[in-house]
Amino acid sequence: MSTPPATSEATRRAPIPGRTRQKAKAALIAAVIVFALVYTVFPVLWLLINSFKTRLDMFAIPPIWLVTSPTLENYYQTFVERAYLTYMANSLIVAVATTVASLVIGTMAGYALARFDYPGRMKFHLSFWILSTRMMPPIVTIVPLYLFFATLDLLNTKTALAIAYTGFNLPFVIWMMKGYFAEIPRDLEESAMVDGDTRLGALIRIVLPLAKPGMVATAIFCLILSWNELLFALIITETTSANTLPIGIAGRITQYKVEWGEISAAGFAACVPIIIFAFVVQRHLVRGLSFGAVKG
Amino acid sequence: MAGVTFKNVTKRFGPVVAVDNLDLEIEDKEFFVLLGPSGCGKTTTMRMIAGLDSITEGEVYIGDRLVNDLLPKYRDVAMVFQSYALYPHMTVYENIEYPLKIRKRPVDERRQEVMRAAEKVQLADLLDRMPRQLSGGQRQRVALARVLVRKPTVFLMDEPLSNLDAKLRVQMRAELKRLQHDLAVTMVYVTHDQIEAMTLATRVAVLNEGVLQQLATPKGIYNDPANLFVAGFIGSPSMNLITGALENGGFTGPGVKLPGIGGGDRSGVIIGMRPEDLAVVEDAADGHMTAPIYSVELTGESTLVTVRLGGETIVVRADKDFDRPIDSEVHIRVDPAKTYLFDARSEQRIRV
Repeated sequence: MSTPPATSEATRRAPIPGRTRQKAKAALIAAVIVFALVYTVFPVLWLLINSFKTRLDMFAIPPIWLVTSPTLENYYQTFVERAYLTYMANSLIVAVATTVASLVIGTMAGYALARFDYPGRMKFHLSFWILSTRMMPPIVTIVPLYLFFATLDLLNTKTALAIAYTGFNLPFVIWMMKGYFAEIPRDLEESAMVDGDTRLGALIRIVLPLAKPGMVATAIFCLILSWNELLFALIITETTSANTLPIGIAGRITQYKVEWGEISAAGFAACVPIIIFAFVVQRHLVRGLSFGAVKG
Repeated sequence: MAGVTFKNVTKRFGPVVAVDNLDLEIEDKEFFVLLGPSGCGKTTTMRMIAGLDSITEGEVYIGDRLVNDLLPKYRDVAMVFQSYALYPHMTVYENIEYPLKIRKRPVDERRQEVMRAAEKVQLADLLDRMPRQLSGGQRQRVALARVLVRKPTVFLMDEPLSNLDAKLRVQMRAELKRLQHDLAVTMVYVTHDQIEAMTLATRVAVLNEGVLQQLATPKGIYNDPANLFVAGFIGSPSMNLITGALENGGFTGPGVKLPGIGGGDRSGVIIGMRPEDLAVVEDAADGHMTAPIYSVELTGESTLVTVRLGGETIVVRADKDFDRPIDSEVHIRVDPAKTYLFDARSEQRIRV
């Protein structure tokens, strides 16, 4: 019994449909990634290029892609002549305070919702109520919040901003952390408690290290939200002592002209801290730490 | 070292009764096995000892200390979880060290204790590994080492062998038994595997639907089952059960007539016979039942012969040389002294 050699030759040369399809799929994915990259990176790049241009170059047609005579005039205007350093410090203080407060409170609440028993359907109702506070447009709360802060004598303070932002972040943080905790096997904490730890100790030493990727992702979200926020800051703050970066930047669109150079410089500078933060924490974003905890 | 006592303990989860009015005395230095099918309340019983589940009614004592409202950390018990519950972000060394670290013991002492526990379970080479880099058997040993570094009054084990493959399970079983012997500790062991229960236990508590069915030595539950549930649950293959009646000093059922069984005349009786107490005989006059062979399985040390009798199947453990074709008729002999009678309605044992 022998197979004719011609047949095996033909089999070897025949195109393998599976592989072709795989290549096409890879190409398609690459194309989508390139498009998404251009779409998101181009505005930032344009901001960076413009921040080094003079006012004349900025409006040149065709657009100037390579700045031949870069100027630092815009940066000088922004950070030396105007109070952008103060705005930036304000933003930073508010954002960090918001992130820390949201994470501490949200983590504890999320843990409670993931682990503790509540009578009847209380857990469902409580979870839903927390989520429902995000269902209305934030602008609806501006007047009550303004009156609230006026009563507490907190208008035009960074504290007021941090409180307001924390309030808006919390539902998100609680739901995110609740999900992360629910994924961590209960056995681990119970084991820690039988080993001699308290519940709080088990939370800090066992559960939180495992929930770290979730906390980092949530922290980035909180930070970006309060860093970008304009509406509340505009209503609640008034002077340089509490104004944040978005207000400073928006303020360069004046009645008579738009200071594109300053906006570009400040806008690009505003991106930098967030990008640095994201790079610093991204190694904590790896998932899968909890694999191998229980039977594999 | 101390025993554990349950006094009228009931545990409810909402409307579900997980453990119903349990009275139990686990003695000091005993290898005590809680045995039952899944959902029978055995794990809940153990978790109440550990303090992981609250007690709805009744009292639990460790030694002579009432522990109902004591946090797990004050109960001085150690537990091996079915999933092992290794801390995934810690190395093997840190995992074993954890109970000592929590107790703020000095670093030198911790190192010594960890090394000693690791050597006892042959883990000394793996101390720098992470749990995810270990095989199932190695993880199991880490979990064991983590309870060994402590000197608790009671060891709790929740189906510790169920995630291991068959060969390793048999090996670890022997090691666990040796370990308990060496340490001379009170061990409470939960399993649904009756072989584990038989091989390991000093005493076995058989639970079903939250109710204690029988508390006895392995020999006791095997040779003297208290009711139909225990009789059917213990033994592999399980006990043959035939429904019939007692008449004229014998048992009569579909296709069976067994003389020499007392207890007076009554209907609604189930007779139980273990496969190993039945024998295949050559002569029809020696046998009590005659039935066609349904299937023949060689297990190595013996042959399991299944026959069809009326609507029931009866399993006989025959000699390993047994060799008859399927569908041929065989005669089966029953030893009346090795049969068990149960009331079909109450499922309780009828003792004669």
